Amino acid sequence: MPRSLSGRLLVTASLALLVALAVAGFGIAHMLERFVIHGLDERLDAQIMVVSRAVRPDGTIDRGAVVDVPPFDEAASGWAWELRGAGGVLRSASLGSADIVVPDHDRHGPPHVDPFGPDTGRPRPFDGRDPNGQRVHGRVLRLPSGRGAVTIIAVGPREVVERPLRAALLPLLGSLLLLGAALAIAILVQLRFGLRPLATLRVMVDEVRDGKRRHLGATEPTELLPLVAALNTLIDANEIALAQARGHVANLAHGLKTPLAALRLDLAAPGRDPGGRLAAQVERIDRHVRHHLGRARAATPAGSPGAATPVGAHVDDLVAALGRIHADRPVRAVVAVPRDLAVRCDPQDLDEMLGNLLDNGWRWARSALRISAERAGGMVRIAIADDGPGLAADDLARVLQPGVRLDERVDGHGFGLSITRELAELYGGRLELDVGMAGGVVATIALPAS
Amino acid sequence: MRVLVVEDDPALADGIARALRAEHFAVDVATNGEDGGHLGGTEAYDVAVLDLGLPRRDGLSVLAEWRAAGRMLPVLILTARDAWTDKVLGFKAGADDYLVKPFRIEELVMRLRALVRRAAGHAASVIRAGALAFDAQTGQFEYEGLPLRLTAFEWRVLSCLMLRKGVVIERLDLLERVYEGDADVDSNSLEVIVGRLRRKIGATAIETVRGRGYRLVDPPCG
Repeated sequence: MPRSLSGRLLVTASLALLVALAVAGFGIAHMLERFVIHGLDERLDAQIMVVSRAVRPDGTIDRGAVVDVPPFDEAASGWAWELRGAGGVLRSASLGSADIVVPDHDRHGPPHVDPFGPDTGRPRPFDGRDPNGQRVHGRVLRLPSGRGAVTIIAVGPREVVERPLRAALLPLLGSLLLLGAALAIAILVQLRFGLRPLATLRVMVDEVRDGKRRHLGATEPTELLPLVAALNTLIDANEIALAQARGHVANLAHGLKTPLAALRLDLAAPGRDPGGRLAAQVERIDRHVRHHLGRARAATPAGSPGAATPVGAHVDDLVAALGRIHADRPVRAVVAVPRDLAVRCDPQDLDEMLGNLLDNGWRWARSALRISAERAGGMVRIAIADDGPGLAADDLARVLQPGVRLDERVDGHGFGLSITRELAELYGGRLELDVGMAGGVVATIALPAS
Repeated sequence: MRVLVVEDDPALADGIARALRAEHFAVDVATNGEDGGHLGGTEAYDVAVLDLGLPRRDGLSVLAEWRAAGRMLPVLILTARDAWTDKVLGFKAGADDYLVKPFRIEELVMRLRALVRRAAGHAASVIRAGALAFDAQTGQFEYEGLPLRLTAFEWRVLSCLMLRKGVVIERLDLLERVYEGDADVDSNSLEVIVGRLRRKIGATAIETVRGRGYRLVDPPCG
């Protein structure tokens, strides 16, 4: 069996079509033969009725009662009749003095039985050959008479039957082939048309995987709806499991943070941790927790990846928040983001990326931070430029690696930029760091436009 | 300066309270959202440290309720939730600062001092009144260029007067910001503290406004 669905359907439909065509062909040919033979039989039976008039009730034969009419008078025409009884034998002119018709045992009845069978009062069919070896079809009738049974046989050439059959065969085959071709085309069309929902479904599943849609939205065909419902349930279950996994990671991380904070506080008490060894371990745990929390966030885009998230509103909120976090660093943030720009990105993930970049900008800036955004093809490019001292080319590449922070004095865990880059790439975007015209760092993040 | 700490983890709450008291703050601790919300809504605090994941009531709703009721005390959110979206939500609910656990206690203290200073309307970290200088960042007082040694009560009274120098501060208001919630308040003790302060920074620096309260005299410069 072929592995593909269309292959299977094609094979079964083709086989069924061939069988149906063969059956139809043989059936029609058989019907035709019976019809033609029926015509021949009627003609032969009429001849038998004519010949039977030559039998007198006492069993003797009236040789003058039968007059041969064409084609029974024509020698070797294949048309003949014979009357045989105790009173003698009477033959058609076509037979001349030749032997009577020999039944063809190949076609009718077993050989040991009288080929003409018992008397039934009605003519019976048989097939045989005439004295010239020509194949003939005949009818035989047994009549009771005063001097025993009389047998009357009439035969006609089988050619009479076969000629119209041969003539009909070509058009019959032609029309059957035509029918077959039409049905084959119908099967192909049906396969394409009938299987199209499957292709549509596959595209939808791809879109779900790519985050372009959340569920399969097929409303037809009805046969596929249970599958669509089952798939949607699976997607939901998957989403819930993902959210739970995220939740577990977050809970674990958050749950660790409070005891870590208490531990850190405890160790900071005078004399508690003289060498600072324990504090360093706490610091390590904290870094791991932050790192894996960030990774868990970056590895799994949140619930609504297809959401259109307005860039401007999120930049405004983050700038307001950062202005308060860095309240004692008077950095002026200039936001030049067109209000209609939106990205296809989960709002929380956008906050995470922009928050990290803005936070860095705030730390590096001398007095001003410029946030601009523009649409470039299918992407939105958001640039955050500070007027700080900038970075050397080596450092620009290095800060994108996990856990690297250039200034150990500045508070921060050094994962912000690498996580931002991972998140951006997860959405099919990019993060680039560069040195701007004014010498400061320009962080540019490109995300798919919505 | 009186701080409200709303934190459900007893070890952390205790550690924070101890560290803040060492820096002369008066500290009240609430270990659930309901108590914290009630204290912040009724008592006088200079600043509040608010955890978000609290039993009984979420920190954000506590904060939103304070703001809706017109309680404008500066609030620092201290939480394990480090996502930027959470920070934005915190600020939108009315927070003034946001610190993620685990944190360095120095940073918490510094941020609380800065919040109190900014809430009193001082942009610069050093506040001066005559020969007296108060570094609101470090919490250190200087008098005539020399460090001033103060007890916790003295520091609370003086920092309160200093942050609102030139303004009469009600006796009751001052008492509220000097004593922790569960302390036995002897109203005469305020006079004792002010008396000791006058001996340290000069008798005329703190003015008694009869029937109302006290005022730190802010002589014009030069």
